[in-house]
Amino acid sequence: MLLCDFHIHTKYSDGSVELRKTIDIFGQAGFDVIAITDHVVNGDNGIGKLAHRFKLSVTAANFEEYISNIKYEAERAWDKYEMLVIPGIEITKNYITPEKSAHILIIDIKDFIPACMNYEKIFLEAKQQDALVVACHPHNMSDMSRDTLFLWNNREKYAKYIDAWEIANRDGVFNVISLKKYPYIANSDFHRARHLYSWKTLLNCEKNIDSIKKCIRHNKGVAITLFRN
Amino acid sequence: MEMFYIFAGITILGLIAYGLQIWAVRSTLRTGKGRGIGKDLPFPLPLPAVSILKPLKGLDDNLFDNLASFCTQDYPEYEIIFSLQDHNDPAYKVARKIKDKYHEKNISIIVEKCDVGLNPKVNNLMSAYKVSQYEHILISDSNVMVDKDYLKEIVKHMKEDVGLVSNVIRGIGGSTIGSIFENLHLNTFILGSVCFLDKFLKMPCVVGKSMLMRKNDLEAIGGFKAVKDVLAEDYVIGERIHKMGKKVVLSNYAINNVNEYWGIRRFLNRHTRWGKLRWRLGGIKYISELIGNPVFMSFIPMMLWEISRTTVSFALFVSLIKVIGDLYLGKITDSDSNPMVYLLSPVKDMIIGLIWFVPILSNTVVWRGNRYIIGRDSMLSPCPETGMWAWRYRIVDAIKARIA
Repeated sequence: MLLCDFHIHTKYSDGSVELRKTIDIFGQAGFDVIAITDHVVNGDNGIGKLAHRFKLSVTAANFEEYISNIKYEAERAWDKYEMLVIPGIEITKNYITPEKSAHILIIDIKDFIPACMNYEKIFLEAKQQDALVVACHPHNMSDMSRDTLFLWNNREKYAKYIDAWEIANRDGVFNVISLKKYPYIANSDFHRARHLYSWKTLLNCEKNIDSIKKCIRHNKGVAITLFRN
Repeated sequence: MEMFYIFAGITILGLIAYGLQIWAVRSTLRTGKGRGIGKDLPFPLPLPAVSILKPLKGLDDNLFDNLASFCTQDYPEYEIIFSLQDHNDPAYKVARKIKDKYHEKNISIIVEKCDVGLNPKVNNLMSAYKVSQYEHILISDSNVMVDKDYLKEIVKHMKEDVGLVSNVIRGIGGSTIGSIFENLHLNTFILGSVCFLDKFLKMPCVVGKSMLMRKNDLEAIGGFKAVKDVLAEDYVIGERIHKMGKKVVLSNYAINNVNEYWGIRRFLNRHTRWGKLRWRLGGIKYISELIGNPVFMSFIPMMLWEISRTTVSFALFVSLIKVIGDLYLGKITDSDSNPMVYLLSPVKDMIIGLIWFVPILSNTVVWRGNRYIIGRDSMLSPCPETGMWAWRYRIVDAIKARIA
């Protein structure tokens, strides 16, 4: 089984660890597959503007640099640890009320997708790039200030676009995902080194991007594990 | 004012002891660059084959590189044995990756549940020892990273009359406050004490991060079974080999102990445990550690009696000397710490000063998830789960859990 984490932040957004060090933390711990998914924040309201002002978001301007650095590090990670590193982003639509907020992982992204587009457009753009779409922490979390409930509350409308839902995020578990029998994965939402020890995904497939995406989409051979030291 | 002079006197004694520690480190390392003690020794020919025993438990910082550094040794014949207690240990996956990456090397992974003793590291070592092929064994902790010439350099010391070779340890890494404190403490107090004991008191003070010995000598002191219930198995092995009439050598070849992402709690836990261990091993000599902490001693008059210009100036002056001394130790050990980090040295010393009192109040230790009572010579015995005494631990645990 491949030990995977598909939700990782670095200093490109609000993570506290630099990209290279982040990759080393996971490589040194024996991971097989990770996705770097820094925030791309909507800039169409005050919260988003603040995030842009404090450089807590990947933007259209630095997206190329972001992707090329991930690709460079991905080569190093493969040579040294045989660990697959996939570039991604976390579309971050933050509003004052959790009911309006949503976070979406776009894994294996090729071109920039702005977060201020509407949901359908974001999903279609992701599909066009053959990227994996994952709904992040879709239900109530222990830290209510981080709740993002929009996608779950509108699941009837949007579930068809979503390849997988986070059934567990860091220390929290969202039982509702399994009750609805949605495809699932579990991630750390890594921002600090200590977040390494959190929920993870185990995949029973080949170690290449296509097999991994297929495995998650079909949701066969997927398990979750609470990674503890 | 009388009390101030008494503590000022003790502080000056501590500073003198600290100066001697620096001198001992300097003399042991001799800056380590081509002029170290071991550098002039000839290589024993042929170089003996070595079995490296690596007990693994959980993920240490930099684990992959630590293990990989042993696979690239410039040494003709050696084997590496990774031993674990179960397949679910996260270190197992890293060990597998290392074995795959260095498939041309003689690497074995032993996964065997062994609960013969109370010391989990010794339990882990027993399984590795059983399958080891060579007469020379090297016990090496998983948080150690070495250079390519490490094996060659330490084998040089292994003459007929030598029973055990250990190494000086250098803490490196340090991205969080816990690991910065840990590395500061390793590179100053621990290194200074080990070199001081070796140089001036000719006392073997073996730290188990690197221990090279012969199976014959280990068997002669009773093998691992003799230390299966001992917390300080490294120290006790060194002491028994010394008593047997063989030399215990401290090699000046510095090995790296990588501490990168420690939380402050981990730092406190480790040094509380080590303090308890030294209190049980050293008894009354343990007081010398408090006297040997000049920063803490210089702050006592301020904490207990009065804050005046004299007491504050004295404490600051002592702190400044300590910062400069630690900076110098960092320089001669080739530490990778940022020089600004040494400004935290007095804070670390104050914490260590406070931790010093814990072993006197508590005789239990929680190690790798199990609670034990530490007896004489660091002999472990299981902590009762029921009964009057167990309530004490449960209350402490409940408070800790609440705070966490």
